[in-house]
Formats: sequence, C-alpha cells, structure tokens
Amino acid sequence: MKRFQFLLLDAGPIIKLFELGIWDKFIEKCDVTISRTIAEEEVVFASKEDEKEWIDLSPYENLIKIVDVSPSKIAAFHSRFATQLSRIEIHPGELEILAFFCESSEPWQVCTSDGPVFQFLGMMGKSEQGISLEELLQKIGLSKQKLERWYTREFREQHTRKGRTDSIQGRGLQ
Amino acid sequence: MEIGKRLKLAREAIGYTLKRACQESGIGDSSLSEIENGKREPKFSQLSRLAEVYKRTVDFFLTDKLPAEPIMLWRDGPGNIEDMKKTEADFRRLCQQYHKLELCTAETRKAIFPQPDVTNPEQFSWLQAESFAGIVHNNLCLGDIPSASLKKILEERYYVKIFYLEFAGNAISTVSDEFGPAILLNSRNVPWRRNYDLAHELFHLLTWSIFRVESKEPSESEEKLANSFASKLLMPEKPLQQRLAVLANEKGEVQLEQLDDLAREFSVSLDAMVYRIATLFKIKKETTEQHLVVAKQLSGLHKPRESDKVEPLPERYRDLAIRALREGRLSLIQFAKYMGISYKKAQEYLAEDEGFTDEKISIPVA
Repeated sequence: MKRFQFLLLDAGPIIKLFELGIWDKFIEKCDVTISRTIAEEEVVFASKEDEKEWIDLSPYENLIKIVDVSPSKIAAFHSRFATQLSRIEIHPGELEILAFFCESSEPWQVCTSDGPVFQFLGMMGKSEQGISLEELLQKIGLSKQKLERWYTREFREQHTRKGRTDSIQGRGLQ
Repeated sequence: MEIGKRLKLAREAIGYTLKRACQESGIGDSSLSEIENGKREPKFSQLSRLAEVYKRTVDFFLTDKLPAEPIMLWRDGPGNIEDMKKTEADFRRLCQQYHKLELCTAETRKAIFPQPDVTNPEQFSWLQAESFAGIVHNNLCLGDIPSASLKKILEERYYVKIFYLEFAGNAISTVSDEFGPAILLNSRNVPWRRNYDLAHELFHLLTWSIFRVESKEPSESEEKLANSFASKLLMPEKPLQQRLAVLANEKGEVQLEQLDDLAREFSVSLDAMVYRIATLFKIKKETTEQHLVVAKQLSGLHKPRESDKVEPLPERYRDLAIRALREGRLSLIQFAKYMGISYKKAQEYLAEDEGFTDEKISIPVA
C-alpha cells in the first residue's frame, strides 16, 4: 500500500523530483494529487529552459491524480480569504491547491517549497498539514543528498511560524 | 460580473480577436466563444492561461467588483490601435505587479506632490506652467542639473512607478486608484529624449486632477504647457545663466557647439536647449528657427552609447521583489515572472540567501 494517500504536490517539489531522477520511484510510493494548473501551466513554465524541453506530466495521468477546481469555487475561496491573500503572492496553481485543500475534509498534506503557502497554512492553524520535500523523502526512504534550504523542514517551520505569528498579531486570520 | 463577460472585456481591452486569443492560448475557437457567452465555465487552468495571454492577474476574473480601468495618457502614440492596447496592457500589468509587491512588503506609501495654484484648466497659462516648474524644482530639491536626480527622486520619495519598455510611441502617464501615479518611457529613445519625456509626463501627473476631469486626451495647449514646464524644470534659470556667462565670448554670444556641450551637461537635446535660450533671452522666432536647422544637423551626429541603456524594471521594484521572496511573501514562480527571468535563475536569489534571517532590527534615530 502506498504512503501518503492524501498528498498535494506543488510545482517546486515536482521539478526537484525530476531533477533528482526519482519522480518515478516517488509516485510508486506515494499517491500524488496535483492541481491541473500546476500540471499544465506552472510546471511547464518553471521547467522550460530556452523553449526546448520541459516536464510533461501527461504520460503520468493514469499514475497520479490531477484535480480541477472550478473558477467559481476559487472565486469563493478568494473572497473568503481576501485579506490573507492580499499580503502574499502565490501563483494560480497554488491558489487552486489551497482552494481544493480548504474545501476538502480529508487529511491532506501539502508539499511545497514556497514560503507563502506554508505561511497561509500557519495563518489557518493548519501547520501540521504542511510538509517539506526533505521530510517527505525521509519518510518514504528516498532521501539521498542535502537539499536546498527551501526544501527543508527548517524552511517549512520558519514560514509556518511566521504565518501563525501574523494570525496572532491580527495580520492573518481573525 | 460573470467570468465569461470579464474574459471578453479583457480580450477586447488588449485588442485581440477571438481567433487571436485562441491561437495565443491554445484554447479551441468554439470553446472560448462558449466560455465568453456564459454557456460553459472554463477550467481554472484555462482561466490562468487566458490571464497570461491578456496580461491580467487571475484576481481580475475572480473579484466581485470590477476595478476601474486607468486613463492612459499617450505622448506621440502609435497610429495602430493594436500596438497601443498591447503596450497599455504591458504597462498596466507591470504597475499592478509593482503594487502587489508593495502590498506584500507593507510598503504602500503615498506622497503628497506640490500642487499648482490653479483649479481651472482654462486659467492655466504658460507663465503659470513655468512658475509651477520652479516650485516643483525647489520642492523636489533637484539642484543645478535636475535630470541627474529627477527619476530617482520621483521613484524613491514620491513613489512614482517608472518603467522602460520598447514600444511605438514616446511615453505614457497614468494615475490609478489602484496603483497610483506611473510613467512608461521608451527605452529605445536617447537619454535626453527620455529625460524630457519624464519631465513632460510629470506635468500631466501633477495636474491630473485639473485636466483629467473633463478630457481623457490632452489638448494641444495642455501639451504646450507640459513642454514649458519640462523645459523650465530641466534647465532652471539660475544655473543655466551661470553656465552661459562662463561660456559666452566678449560679445556675449555662445557658439552652437558650446550649447551642444551644455545640452549634454543638462542631459537635454540641443533643440530643447535652443528653445530654452530663445525663451530666456526673448530671441525672435525666425532667428530661433534658423538656429534649430543647424542644431538638428549637429544632433544627428550623436549616437547612443552603451551606457545609455536602461534597466526595464525600477530598482525599487526589484528590491521589493527580492525582499518579498526572502520574507516568504512571494512564490518563486511569481518572482521569476515578475522579474522576467527563468525559474532556475530565480532559484539563485534564494540560494544566495543561506544565512538570511527576517528578524526585524530597529535602529534608534531620535
């Protein structure tokens, strides 16, 4: 049985897994869910160098789950958290992930390498539902080498804490 | 407003036909038409792609209230409406990104500009434009060579958003409820041309509440006022006369070649310098026109230098983007898009930050 049945992946960790050459092994071990905007827009943008090659996730459509969130649901999410979202700038794929995450009652874990996403989770009091790539790889026994700072537990903790502080000081959720 | 209607609005604002929008976004003709007509809802990924194509934020399609479109005031705009709309879209997007960075870093600041002592556009005379330039010169502390510091002071002290892009036309100015005052200058123009355009557009910004009440387009007389203002602002009387006194021969005359050097010193064109001197010393129109013919020949010899190239993004914009990234307020992909760099290059900014702490340190100054 696969680990992490409720795992949402952001663009940064996907690109890193490809870069490390462990994407295939990773999806064998984890049930991965990705938002369509991340799969079709953000991963393509971020992995493109000189218009030549980019990461194409379409061959993996049967091995991972790609979810769509309707614009009207995202608009409702956007309106509900307008104050919090006005102080951070996330890409549309992350907006889709977070709207999906907030709407679901399942125990999702969000794996990202972006500070604002961890901060948002901290603001919402859902710190424990954020996970760094470093922690994830350790848990499934795929950790190989030292990863860059933004994939580490320390980075996640720093930004989650910041989101929590914002919330307590009235700059986040009220 | 429904998303479909807003998509149509955004498409028309950038001047794209349905066919062009489909080509650019990779969305089928019939699909986009159905989406615009409200017959089907787009996927969010499609909406995100269309936002990129139309140079809008996704927020534009998600918020209830439609933000007011700012008036864009052109200086020598292109005849082609498509070019015009595309440049306006590029400029607006840059301004919105800049504003978002200010919000993320809690650096939204408003400065109070000096105001002219006139409220009615018809009362605004050429003399008032000149005298207003003197007031602005003093208020902004522009010194003897105003072009050397004007841009920096406007950006850093008055928070004017100033961008450089290559486009057909010379400049655009705008004052938006959303992102404040902003100016776009053509990076292909020579520096003295850009300086003059900046001073000219500054007049429009400062008199926005007077002239933009009734008219979206500047009249010929408003343009002349802006030119008088720019001329006086960039070539203030006292330092100019001091320099002329040094250069003048026994007969009290200055050669055109010497004026050319002086124009370079003040970073204005020789034409502008000749006009300014004509105004200052009340030289006859016919004589000035003769001087201008020779001045044009002389100006044609100047070629732009490598050092004349400009960065498209303002320094403050780049600094705010780096700060927002460091403080975890800006995602890496957005940072790359805002800075116009690749994701890989964007990662280098984070890598340089190994020992960074965002702990706030305050230094007592009182």
